[in-house]
Amino acid sequence: MAEPYLRVENLVKQFGPFTALGGVDLEVYPGEVHALLGDNGAGKSTLIKTLAGVHQPTSGQIYIEGKPVNFRSPRDASAAGIGTVYQDLALNQLMSVTRNFFMGRELKGPMGTLKMDEMNEIAHDEMLKIGIDFSDPTQAVGTMSGGQRQTLAIARAIHFGAKVLILDEPTSALGQKQQMGVLKTIKRVRARGDIAIIFITHNEIHSRLVGDRYTFLALGKVIGAGTSQEINNEEMRRLMAGGAEMGDLEKELAAI
Amino acid sequence: MADRSEADRLKEETWIQRLIRRPEIGSFIVMVVIIVALAIASDGKAFNALGLKNNIKIIAQYGIIAMGAAMLMIAGEFDLSIGSMIGFAGMSMALMLKWGLPFGLGEATPFMAFIITLAMTLTLGWFIGTIVVRSGLSSFIVTLAFLFFLRGTTEVAFRLINQSTQVSGLPDYKENSWFANILGGEVFGWFYDAWYWIGQRAIDGMEFPARLPGETINMLAALNINRRLEQWVTGFDARFMWFLIIAAGAYFILSRTQLGNWIYATGDDKEAARANGVPVNRVKVGLFMFTAFCATMFAACQVFDTNTSDAAKGNLMELFAIAIAVVGGTLMTGGFGSAIGVVFGAITVGLVANAVFFIPEIDGAWFRVFLGSILLAAVFANERIRKRITGGI
Repeated sequence: MAEPYLRVENLVKQFGPFTALGGVDLEVYPGEVHALLGDNGAGKSTLIKTLAGVHQPTSGQIYIEGKPVNFRSPRDASAAGIGTVYQDLALNQLMSVTRNFFMGRELKGPMGTLKMDEMNEIAHDEMLKIGIDFSDPTQAVGTMSGGQRQTLAIARAIHFGAKVLILDEPTSALGQKQQMGVLKTIKRVRARGDIAIIFITHNEIHSRLVGDRYTFLALGKVIGAGTSQEINNEEMRRLMAGGAEMGDLEKELAAI
Repeated sequence: MADRSEADRLKEETWIQRLIRRPEIGSFIVMVVIIVALAIASDGKAFNALGLKNNIKIIAQYGIIAMGAAMLMIAGEFDLSIGSMIGFAGMSMALMLKWGLPFGLGEATPFMAFIITLAMTLTLGWFIGTIVVRSGLSSFIVTLAFLFFLRGTTEVAFRLINQSTQVSGLPDYKENSWFANILGGEVFGWFYDAWYWIGQRAIDGMEFPARLPGETINMLAALNINRRLEQWVTGFDARFMWFLIIAAGAYFILSRTQLGNWIYATGDDKEAARANGVPVNRVKVGLFMFTAFCATMFAACQVFDTNTSDAAKGNLMELFAIAIAVVGGTLMTGGFGSAIGVVFGAITVGLVANAVFFIPEIDGAWFRVFLGSILLAAVFANERIRKRITGGI
């Protein structure tokens, strides 16, 4: 196996007396989807916010291509090739697809004028690459479906140099069909082969459909990790439930 | 592709549908209706040589400050201090012109009075904007504070330095200072010269009695000819040119530049904008400075045109500016609006404000009844446009 693009070693994050992450290890390879699973409060959000430079780790080390890095701000992380697509997607509804795509990083010609045609073309092409043929890049994002917005945000992160794409629950709050659309998009990005994807989800079916490698978090610790071959469905369900045996849970439920 | 069919649920639009969807369309239709109605009701007087000049004068006044207010509203903030800023800037310039530069630095030229005033108002704009973005308080309340603060300061300064709340009888600086002339003088004389030239050709060969009948005077007025058969009006007020410059600048910035994209992004969802690296706070502070600039230009044109100033100048102008911005299609909640729409809004409101001079039978207070009604209608229309653009979200 190739070298992981991103490696996290014994990452600890404490907020005062509260230990949000109690020594997490993680390896993310290009061309792979690394599903990060865990219940609410397991530490998923803290982990990705630390990777995205929002939080600074209390101890532990993040490596990019083997080199230790310290992110002091989201800008640092983004410059190092970590593109985070948060649940709210950071899109502006009233603005056009193109204006959203280039928001804050507009292409400028002489005298600071926008190269609108070129920008329209790039936005269209980048979205086409991962699966949406968007006929009119001047239409407002407010008119797009949730799945299309997700695609726009992903295409934007990739265009601006993301080597690690962190997708924060991209399939939640979407209808069934659109969830499948997002999974297809993830597969297409994976097929490029040069981008590592961290896919955060609650949904074991979704993670099974696209995941190559899994890490399960519970109460700030890794309770299980492995490739899709190593972890069978039963094991997966057990880990999803925070390590409790499904059978035990059934007994507990029956006892009430 | 599954998502392809979804994109296609949006109908392909003809250019007419696209035109109707433009945010300016509502204000454009209202403007055309007002122009036609006023032309008929005033028997054409509203658009004869002098009528046009006077209408353009008030349209330009409104337009200059409304453009500042609209740009700021697009970025999601309000400025209620515009009117008081006009009073403050007018006071500052008039007092310097009458009593000399501060700290005994000698007599003030129009240029020095303007530049020092502009430096002060831009600093105030920067200060107001900084308070808003740093404190996170609503701009409504912060700028309301400055509405009182600046108006009070203006009056106090007038009384302390001038012993009276008005300055009048300043020399006519336009005659000697090119700088005063480009602010308070006349522009686009060629337009009225051409009008007069056409007028002369039109009456060529006609005989006129010594005492002209009313209809003949009206006819001559529409040809830019006065009762002595000379050229009547020689040019527009200089503020017309400044209005055009500011409006063209605003249009260019909003639709064609990176800064324009940042302004829209800031007003739409500032957290999303910030997450993408848009310097949200700098955009907002800059626009508060821009409204201060617009207020200063308004005041400067007034001072150098009339050679007077008083402490009540610009009263209520902040509310007119906001009303015009809304009538022009600017969303109260930010993120949406256009410079062209604001121009239409300024024309509409300016014409109605002036209508009483051309139709003496009507009570001038109807203007405010009209403004109130059209404002309410515009808010509803804007909300509908917003829903249509965002697909009803």
